Amino acid sequence: MTAAPAAEPAIAIAGLRKVYRRGRKETVAVDGLDLVVRRGEVFGLLGPNGAGKTTTVEVCEGLTQPDAGDVRILGRRWGQGEDDALRARLGVCLQETHFQEKATVRETLALFASFYDGGADVDAALDLVGLREKADDRQSQLSGGQRQRLAVATALLGRPDLLFLDEPTTGLDPLSRRQLWEVVRGFRARGGTILLTTHGMDEAQQLCDRVAIVDRGRVLAIGSPAELIRSLGAEHFVDVECTDTSAVGTADLAALPDVAAHELRPARIVLTVRSVHTALAALLALLRERGVGVQGLATRHATLEDVFVRLTGRTLREETTP
Amino acid sequence: MRLRVVVAVARSTFREFWRSPDALFWTYGFPLVMALALGLAFQPGPPPQVPIAVVADADAAALLAAEPRLLVEPLAADAADRALARGRVAASLRRQDGGLVLRADPTRPDAESAVLLVERALRAEPAAPAIAPLRREVEDRPGSRYIDFLIPGLIGLNLLGAGMWGIGFNLVQMRVGKLLRRLAVTPMRRSEFLFGYLLGRCLLVVPESAALVGFGALLWDVPFRGSLLAGLLLVAAGGLAFAGLGVLVASRARTLEGVGGLMNLVQLPMWLLCGTWFDTSRFTGALRWFADLLPLTHVNRALRDVMLEPQGLLDAAPTIAGLCAFAAVCLALALRWFRWQ
Repeated sequence: MTAAPAAEPAIAIAGLRKVYRRGRKETVAVDGLDLVVRRGEVFGLLGPNGAGKTTTVEVCEGLTQPDAGDVRILGRRWGQGEDDALRARLGVCLQETHFQEKATVRETLALFASFYDGGADVDAALDLVGLREKADDRQSQLSGGQRQRLAVATALLGRPDLLFLDEPTTGLDPLSRRQLWEVVRGFRARGGTILLTTHGMDEAQQLCDRVAIVDRGRVLAIGSPAELIRSLGAEHFVDVECTDTSAVGTADLAALPDVAAHELRPARIVLTVRSVHTALAALLALLRERGVGVQGLATRHATLEDVFVRLTGRTLREETTP
Repeated sequence: MRLRVVVAVARSTFREFWRSPDALFWTYGFPLVMALALGLAFQPGPPPQVPIAVVADADAAALLAAEPRLLVEPLAADAADRALARGRVAASLRRQDGGLVLRADPTRPDAESAVLLVERALRAEPAAPAIAPLRREVEDRPGSRYIDFLIPGLIGLNLLGAGMWGIGFNLVQMRVGKLLRRLAVTPMRRSEFLFGYLLGRCLLVVPESAALVGFGALLWDVPFRGSLLAGLLLVAAGGLAFAGLGVLVASRARTLEGVGGLMNLVQLPMWLLCGTWFDTSRFTGALRWFADLLPLTHVNRALRDVMLEPQGLLDAAPTIAGLCAFAAVCLALALRWFRWQ
């Protein structure tokens, strides 16, 4: 990996805008996005489908020409005569790539290895993604997870400083997903920087040092997963199903200890709380006192999904309709 | 069978088609364009003349000239043989042992017409039997038959097919599968990719062509009379020219339907007009000009030269150079227009 001034970020995006035109219809994919990815971090773009994540990554990769904005990758801009040198320092895993069906894993990697002057190590890449045993299998014999790991291996071949992973685990089974997460962690441990997009909140929470929550082509919030969750004001949810809540008022709920927010429905109470054990004990006592029967109880940690819901009023699984 | 399902499938199939503008064009637009072009090329008129070589016999030549459907070419003996071998004439007539000998390979298009027309012309002249009795001979000497004409043409056609299907179609497949896009974000240069790709494909055309030559020699004694090196270079240059054309055709297309249509557009005229199946040197006017523009015309002509006649490298050099130049132009345009995604 090439040494660089510590202050210089891996990616610096300012005022990025991209509009897709088809006939008379215009779709604003990215609408004034600002972002800085520091060296050595795993940075996640988290947002629903259509939020502009892929477009942003493709602009960073030099595949898509932005309509406006300044994008600097490892201190350089695309189209200034240094593109090949820049590409040699990037590893890219697109959302979808069909490698040649009849080529084996090793042959595919050997092809990509030839593109890098430093002499990329095919065996090392095979080991990194755990495909050594599949090295002589053809593309058509690989499972979805193995294909995806092969795609990541082609991205790692040139020993990049910066790795782009566009929804690397979408459609994978839990085991394949975990294997890929390990690859990402290993790359980071060796000092690499990663920009990944995902619409999986658990993936962002598990993998990312920092996350940008993106919606409708803009960044709504940036921070570490813990910071973003803390910004909710409370980190736990208490969800109680009851017989009938008419005997309870919203003022009663607000008066409970450690409650940050509350929601009162005819047969359900949802509290956002800072501390589960104090709030829950007080709530159960209140319900007993008012004669309300408890039929179900669940508590859970707040997630990035809750942050997204708080910021947009929608869930991550809902499509963005620009 | 449930009609509801049949109707639903039919509707979705039709909708898919209707919403693909390139499929629409190649289904409705292209046949109309072809009908117009062919309609203009083959306007109704008198039936075409059948060319025949007459060897050094003024009497016979004069006799045959009375038949308006025969195009009589007085030629020396070896020139007549060559013209017959190359398909420029359908038959040759010469005086031999006090009679007239009409030689033709009956498998050749037009040969039967030529024989019938000659017989009719001689019958029309009461004095003809006195001049000479007519004897028919089947042209079966290696190098002069229709099969000898056909094999070089098939090699040319094969080169065209390799460029179109092997390269053009394949490239679009790689584009559709987003492999080109993945390659575009590596430090690989465009020119490296295109030249490497061409090299990989062009290496195939040499053994392919050699197999056709060997097959013809083994089964039918099809000769190879010229320089082998010239043949090899011609095949390589022809392969390169069509590979360049294949890359150019595939440089923008985003769908397999789109590139399929473009390939048809490029291939169909060459299939018909470049002298693979019959001699096209008698084309006149715009058709002649157009056929001469097509690279397959030159590949076929030069391949026949080097296979059927004792030609050397120097004879083939202009064609080889021309094909390389054609490939260079195609590749330069393709590099400029090439779409990676």
